[in-house]
Amino acid sequence: MLAEASSSKGECEHPGSFGNMCFVCGQKLEETGVSFRYIHKEMRLNQDEISRLRDSDMGFLQRQRKLYLVLDLDHTLLNSTILRDLKPEEEYLNSHTHSLQDVSGGSLFKMEFMHMMTKLRPFVHSFLKEASEMFVMYIYTMGDRPYARQMAKLLDPKGEYFGDRIISRDDGTVRHQKSLDVVLGQESAVLILDDTENAWPNHKDNLIVIERYHFFASSCRQFDHKYKSLSELKSDESEPDGALATVLKVLKQAHALFFENVDEDISNKDVRLMLKQVRKEILKGFKVVFSRVFPTKAKPEDHPLWKMAEDLGATCATEVDASVTHVVAMEMGTEKARWAVREKKFVVHRGWIDAANYLWKKQPEENFSLEQLKKQQGTEEE
Amino acid sequence: MFFHIVLERNMQLHPRFFGRNLRENLVSKLMKDVEGTCSGRHGFVVAITGIESIGKGLIRDGTGFVTFPVKYQCVVFRPFKGEILEAVVTLVNKMGFFAEAGPVQIFVSKHLIPDDMEFQAGDMPNYTTSDGSVKIQKECEVRLKIIGTRVDATEIFCVGTIKDDFLGVINDPAAG
Repeated sequence: MLAEASSSKGECEHPGSFGNMCFVCGQKLEETGVSFRYIHKEMRLNQDEISRLRDSDMGFLQRQRKLYLVLDLDHTLLNSTILRDLKPEEEYLNSHTHSLQDVSGGSLFKMEFMHMMTKLRPFVHSFLKEASEMFVMYIYTMGDRPYARQMAKLLDPKGEYFGDRIISRDDGTVRHQKSLDVVLGQESAVLILDDTENAWPNHKDNLIVIERYHFFASSCRQFDHKYKSLSELKSDESEPDGALATVLKVLKQAHALFFENVDEDISNKDVRLMLKQVRKEILKGFKVVFSRVFPTKAKPEDHPLWKMAEDLGATCATEVDASVTHVVAMEMGTEKARWAVREKKFVVHRGWIDAANYLWKKQPEENFSLEQLKKQQGTEEE
Repeated sequence: MFFHIVLERNMQLHPRFFGRNLRENLVSKLMKDVEGTCSGRHGFVVAITGIESIGKGLIRDGTGFVTFPVKYQCVVFRPFKGEILEAVVTLVNKMGFFAEAGPVQIFVSKHLIPDDMEFQAGDMPNYTTSDGSVKIQKECEVRLKIIGTRVDATEIFCVGTIKDDFLGVINDPAAG
């Protein structure tokens, strides 16, 4: 028996340590393996044990028909500001904050002890409730641990959505970077929702990038936006049509594709491929030609915009022909743009592709015409 | 295991505390400094139970502080490898469970939980036998065996097992 391993220490595999002691045989160990501080500050697991835990998990996921969802906090599920940074136009918010004693139903909270105010994103409660039926959820934030725990209390007062699965920057293994190394689920079964693509350098395929939620003026300033924030405009994102509602639909689609065949063994399935499939439906059937959008020296096929259009299901080409449906240009005078007008094809600026990528839906071409772009540029210059 | 032992400590006292209440000041400073601390040798000092002796004070050169050697009795708690303890479960997850015995934090890995107990996720994560007769969840009392200990300045960590005979749940809060 493993408990008697003190006499057979050589045979213990030391799957991990607690307080620098192997938790199977008690032997003192140097710091090895990966630190799992969010579970306990003294917990470490070695790679084999992590793989074993991930594998043994698959049966549970299969039975529950669940996948993993890793959620960012700032600008994804909520927006926080330091009280000192509130502009005079935002002072009215101080009288609209919800009680911290019973957070249910509230979306604006003031935490004097942290000098902070937090606004939850519209639809977040419905989002979490519905997502929790399809996913085991993690919080993964670049905030520190006390911040992460406090936000979890606002979003999940009963602890039913996240449990102890709250990863803060104090728990990550690499500074300024997020990774799935401390998530105890197979990478093929994890989806990530984050507003910052570059936070996940090794897991771009698992990532759904969401539009940033800027409620407070300080948030707009931070990202260099010249526009007024939602709080200054006394407005908010739409609940039924907002970013979270849109992402929830995508999650449902990917989940449905993954568990399509009830009895199929899911260890061979990969949710990243499901996500790619869902994305490829968005601009399916359209053929796009780009006009003076890419620098001439580079190969167009390597440009991120070209790749984005292809990921969205569109076919891209460098020359026009009858099968082309859209010309993407930044000004009307180009040869290809004039051809498109003659042939009654759509001419749009690149925002049409970006919007489809962010909103997971093809957008009306009229909203992305070059006249629109000129108007927008005109107002920016004023 | 608890021990009732005599320890000695050199206490430094500022002259402002001299006078009628010197001894009281000394004792309360001792309690503040020592109760709740850990040492590798003695473990966790739970409470001071009495003062055995206070030696003559020596004035320190240059500062005016006075050092008193104090001998005091106290109750200490120190877990040992091989010891059987009762602890309260604080957290259950798929890696095992965490439990506390006073100031001591114990982790029992899934590897050291009987094979017939399976992890059940949910609102109240737990380990349950296949027939549902035994359940380990938060707030449960368990009897476990210590297989390793580590003492810090303020904390004691242990690794435990419940895979031996007579170990496991001793009080199920869910039962009537």
